[in-house]
Amino acid sequence: MPTMEVDGQMVSWEGKKTILQACNDANVPIPHYCYHAGLSIVASCRICLVEMESPDPKDPAKMVKLPKLTPSCQTPAVDRMKVTSKSPKAVANQKAVMEFLLINHPLDCPVCDQAGECYLQDYSFNYGRAESRFEEDKIKNPKKDIGLHVLLYSDRCILCTRCVRFTREISGSGELAVFGRGAREEIDVFPGKTVDNPLSANVIDICPVGALLDKDFLFSQRVWFLKSAASISPISSGGENIFIHHNHGRIYRIKPRFNADVNKWWISDEARYTWQFVHENRLHACHRMQYGSFVETSWERAYAQTTEDLQKAVRDNGPGSTAAVLSPFASTEEMFLHAKFARSIDPQAWLAVTPPRIDGQDQVFKNPATGAVTFTIRAEKAPNRRGAEKITAHFGGNACALEELAEKIKNKKVMAVLASADPLPGMDKPVLAAIGAAPTLIALTSRHTGLYEKAGLSMPTCTWAEKAGVYENCDGRIQAFQQAIDPLENCRSDGRIFWDLLAHEGTHSAAAVRHEMAAAGLADYANVAIPQVEKPLEVMEFSAL
Amino acid sequence: MKPEDIIELQPPKLGPMENIFVPAILAGLGTTIMHLFKSVGGNTRTMQYPEERREDMPVLEGGMDIQKYRGVHRLNRDEQGRVKCVACYMCATACPAHCIHIVGDAAPWADREKYPIKFDIDELRCIYCGMCEEACPVDAIELTYEYDIVGLTRQEMVFDKEKLLAMYDKTAARKPM
Ligand code: SF4
Ligand code: SF4
Ligand code: SF4
Ligand code: FES
Repeated sequence: MPTMEVDGQMVSWEGKKTILQACNDANVPIPHYCYHAGLSIVASCRICLVEMESPDPKDPAKMVKLPKLTPSCQTPAVDRMKVTSKSPKAVANQKAVMEFLLINHPLDCPVCDQAGECYLQDYSFNYGRAESRFEEDKIKNPKKDIGLHVLLYSDRCILCTRCVRFTREISGSGELAVFGRGAREEIDVFPGKTVDNPLSANVIDICPVGALLDKDFLFSQRVWFLKSAASISPISSGGENIFIHHNHGRIYRIKPRFNADVNKWWISDEARYTWQFVHENRLHACHRMQYGSFVETSWERAYAQTTEDLQKAVRDNGPGSTAAVLSPFASTEEMFLHAKFARSIDPQAWLAVTPPRIDGQDQVFKNPATGAVTFTIRAEKAPNRRGAEKITAHFGGNACALEELAEKIKNKKVMAVLASADPLPGMDKPVLAAIGAAPTLIALTSRHTGLYEKAGLSMPTCTWAEKAGVYENCDGRIQAFQQAIDPLENCRSDGRIFWDLLAHEGTHSAAAVRHEMAAAGLADYANVAIPQVEKPLEVMEFSAL
Repeated sequence: MKPEDIIELQPPKLGPMENIFVPAILAGLGTTIMHLFKSVGGNTRTMQYPEERREDMPVLEGGMDIQKYRGVHRLNRDEQGRVKCVACYMCATACPAHCIHIVGDAAPWADREKYPIKFDIDELRCIYCGMCEEACPVDAIELTYEYDIVGLTRQEMVFDKEKLLAMYDKTAARKPM
């Protein structure tokens, strides 16, 4: 493996890398703004300049020192190279770059949403100087609304052009550009355009300063109050890796989590902004129908009634007269327990899976210059259809599509249905149409959905942010997600409910269920890697950006 | 913890005189009586509160230093009479008692970015350490010389933005910003 020396530390790498890439991978800090691992290299910010010595190509025993500073983000790393970012010359450059960047930069940190995760702040502290020598008036640029989700405060911009490169290379929409020259240089949208592509909000993440801000998150919380949980987006079957940032049991925003094989550094706007349902329209009590109206009931009674109702259906109509409807929004562990419970009461219980909503076609984004695929937004709008299919296949026996189940209900073959509802607004319509007519309908639902209105008994469940588990994405990748917030008042996750109904020993946890699944022959679930969040607020490491 | 870290302490044995307590009680009473006679003699620091108040006395004679005293908070106003606070949450972050609750929003004024739509300080929870005024980047929050606040409920003692601004109006003359 080639090795070089950076500031006295040995750094090794494999393949072709630039100095900065090799250092980032080895956690050796070199400051950088314009470099982003997912974008092309422009070497325009000049804070990454280093001094270097490399072996002479003609006489490898001799080292040649370059007289000028070199941009480490752009210079290929060579074996036996000696790099220093701490020499007086390099440090003088870092200080000079910082001073230039701050000449017109407003003193906005107290009101700037980026404060706390701003690399201008951090580098100012690490590489800058404490006071400003600029005495003239600063240029003040007005803030601008440039898109559906994005605000531009151009006086805070450091013109690294990451955002411009993103719209050109990743989303392929090219709405942003640099206008003007010199001190008047400015980022802006082309006249008549707005940044409203389906990946637009990623420019907020990659902006190293508070120039591009999120309208949805604007002023809603200082970032240092937020706590982070590693999760998987439940919005589409792509299984985009995300961080849920939350505080005091409320979600404040969703940020992408790097996964080289799934979503790289990006997530779709849909995955980023669809979380309001966690806090809206939630149910907080078990309800049962009594003489035509809903009454609140306790968890104990709800559990007892669930078992009783299903057993009664089997007693009166024979085996095969009950059905379990699995939701592709539930974690695989929950579906396992759901199916297991259904079969424990009725060995011939029908298993059906709610078909996910399909939204047109997969949306594929390409780099217009190279034609390479940069991102895909999946058309299938549920995270875990494959998990559901795996569970139905595992249990075997009676399984049918939802339409067939509807048919059976109409023909009075199936009398009792235990259904897990989809949390997203409007997504339970097809389910409702199919099973709404069942004489006994028991619904596990987190929100006031149509299923809740129809069910003889309903139990308030948790959304994905309130539980841990695994989802299987469209490529068959099994990905675990952490619990972000505590279950809202009196809610219980599907998994917990079935754990209780099956009278399992001990406390319910997703890991315990996976253990049980592995023992039952679902070997894929024996060792699922659990993502960890080490720091209280984990955003994507800047060195990885 | 290792066994050698544990130190066993034995209470000292009491002698017969200590066991009956009376001498110790008399010695204590002696101090009280000494102060009683001293105060009759006129050499006293006792004040007739609330007729006499420390804030009205010169600092050198035991009065309050109005500029430095850490009493109830106030929220300062800017030159145009608007709340000076920019809702940066620095005070809430610095507060060791977690008694400051702020909700920020976009300011309705063209020259300001953000301002607090809600600013509550739980004066019962506050420990009057002054960390908030230390943290504030725009000198918007200050502790005043007011200390005798009363309320009939706990809720009354949670001072909101209006009350804190009123506290500024009340104290600005004696303690300029
Ligand atoms: S961009 Fe960074 S340095 Fe500039 S005001 Fe915002 S937080 Fe402060
Ligand atoms: S807006 Fe942000 S990302 Fe775009 S050039 Fe300016 S600093 Fe860079
Ligand atoms: S520190 Fe000052 S400006 Fe910031 S929120 Fe507190 S009072 Fe307002
Ligand atoms: S010039 Fe190298 S990171 Fe910007």
